[in-house]
Amino acid sequence: MKKVLVPGDEVPGSASNADGVYSENGKHYASTILLESNGRVVPLKGYYVPIRGDYVIGIVTEERFSGYTIDLNSPYEGQISSRDLREELQIGDVVSAKVVSVNEVNEPVLTEVRLFSGGELLEVDAVKIPRVIGKNGSMLQLLKEYTGADVFVGKNGRIYLRNGNLALASLAIMKISREAHSSGLTDRMMEFLTQELRNNGDKK
Amino acid sequence: MALLNKDGSRLDGRGVTDLRPLKITAGVLNRAAGSCLIEWGRNKVLAAVYGPHEVFPKHLTNPRRALINARYIMAPFSSQEEHGRSGPNRRSIEISKVARHVFENVVFTERFPKTMIDVHMEVLQSDGGTRVSAITAASVALADAGIPMRDLVCGVSVGRVDGKLVVDLDKYEDNLGESDVPVVISPRTKELLLFQLDGLLSKKEVSEGLDMIFEAANVIREKQVQALADKFKDVDSGDLQ
Repeated sequence: MKKVLVPGDEVPGSASNADGVYSENGKHYASTILLESNGRVVPLKGYYVPIRGDYVIGIVTEERFSGYTIDLNSPYEGQISSRDLREELQIGDVVSAKVVSVNEVNEPVLTEVRLFSGGELLEVDAVKIPRVIGKNGSMLQLLKEYTGADVFVGKNGRIYLRNGNLALASLAIMKISREAHSSGLTDRMMEFLTQELRNNGDKK
Repeated sequence: MALLNKDGSRLDGRGVTDLRPLKITAGVLNRAAGSCLIEWGRNKVLAAVYGPHEVFPKHLTNPRRALINARYIMAPFSSQEEHGRSGPNRRSIEISKVARHVFENVVFTERFPKTMIDVHMEVLQSDGGTRVSAITAASVALADAGIPMRDLVCGVSVGRVDGKLVVDLDKYEDNLGESDVPVVISPRTKELLLFQLDGLLSKKEVSEGLDMIFEAANVIREKQVQALADKFKDVDSGDLQ
C-alpha cells in the first residue's frame, strides 16, 4: 500500500536512515514529502546539495579573476579554478565536472572539467536521478541502446544528451521523471522505446 | 449589535466550533519552487516559496543557517475597507515578522547555510483571519517546494463574541466582537508558534480557546495533507524499488 507522507508524519523505524527523515525522542518523522511503501520511503521532492565525489553538470554563470562560477541547479554555486583548465570558458557554457571538495557551508570546488558543445540539456528533480540511472546503470544502458544517444547524467538533476535520436531520448527521460516511483519502470521503458521506434520508423 | 442568533448560532449559521468552508490547492504556480492557494470562507490567499538561494542583501548572510524572508501583503483590492495602495505598511510588516518566526521554528534552516528562503503570502481577498490563512497556505507551499521541515503548521483564530467563545472568526466577529486570538500550532508537538491576543480573555477562556483550536487543527491539517497528496497522487501506483 502506497502512501504520501508530509512533514511531521511518523515514519516506520525501518526507514529511519532514509533521505527526508529526521528523528526526535527515539521516533522518526518525515521532513519532506515522502512516498511510503512496505516500510520503505523515498523523497518526492528535494534539493541537490553537493557531496564530494559527485559528477555534476553545470552552466558557467560568471567569469572571475582566478576562475569561474558554475550554476549547479542547487542552492550552492560551484567554483572552477583557471589552473584546472586548458581552455577558456564562456558564460553560458555547459560543463561536466567532479566535486573535489565541499566546505562547511556546502560550497563545492569542481575539477575534471569537460566542456560540452551541441546536444541537449535536460533538467529533472535531483531526487529522481537514481531512477534515470537504474539498478547498476540498467536504465541508462537501455536509453543508450535504443536511442543511440550519448547520455551524461549529473547528480544535480541535469542530463546532457548528444548524438543519436535526441527527441526520443528526451521524451523517454521526461517519462522516467514523471513515473519515477512506479515499479517495473525499466520494463515499461523498454516497451515504450520499442513502440516509439516502430511508429517513427514508418515515417522515415 | 448582536453577533449571535437567538438559537446560539453565528450570523452565517455556523456553530461555535465550526470552520468556514476550506479549500487548499497545492502547486498552483509554475515558476515558484512551491506554491499554494487557500480559499477559506471569503478569504483567498496565494502563497509562493522561492529558494533556498543566495542571500540578498549579501551582508545579512548567516554562515550557520538559512534566512527566512517572509512577506505578507494585502492586495489593494482585497478588502471592503481602505487598505491603501499596495506595498508594505505597519500591519503587514508586523505580520511578515511573526510569520517569519513561525517558519524559523519549523524549517531545518541549519541544513542550508548561507542561503535565503523566500515565503510570499499575497492576500487576494480578505474576510478576517488572513494571517492564519496565509501561514497555513505558506506551510503547504514550503512542503510543496521540498524544503525540510519539522511539521506542517496550521493556524486558526479563536475569540469571544457576545460572551461566547467561537472558532475561526470572520471579519464582523473580529471587528465587532470582544476579542480575537490568532494562533498557529505545530500539530505534531502541540507547540504554539504564534499567539496574538486582541481584546481581553480570562485565563480559563484562553485554555478553553486553545482546546478548541487543537480540535480545529485536525480538520485543517487533513485538508493540507489532502492538497499535497492530490498534487503528488500520479506517482501513487505500483511498488517502490
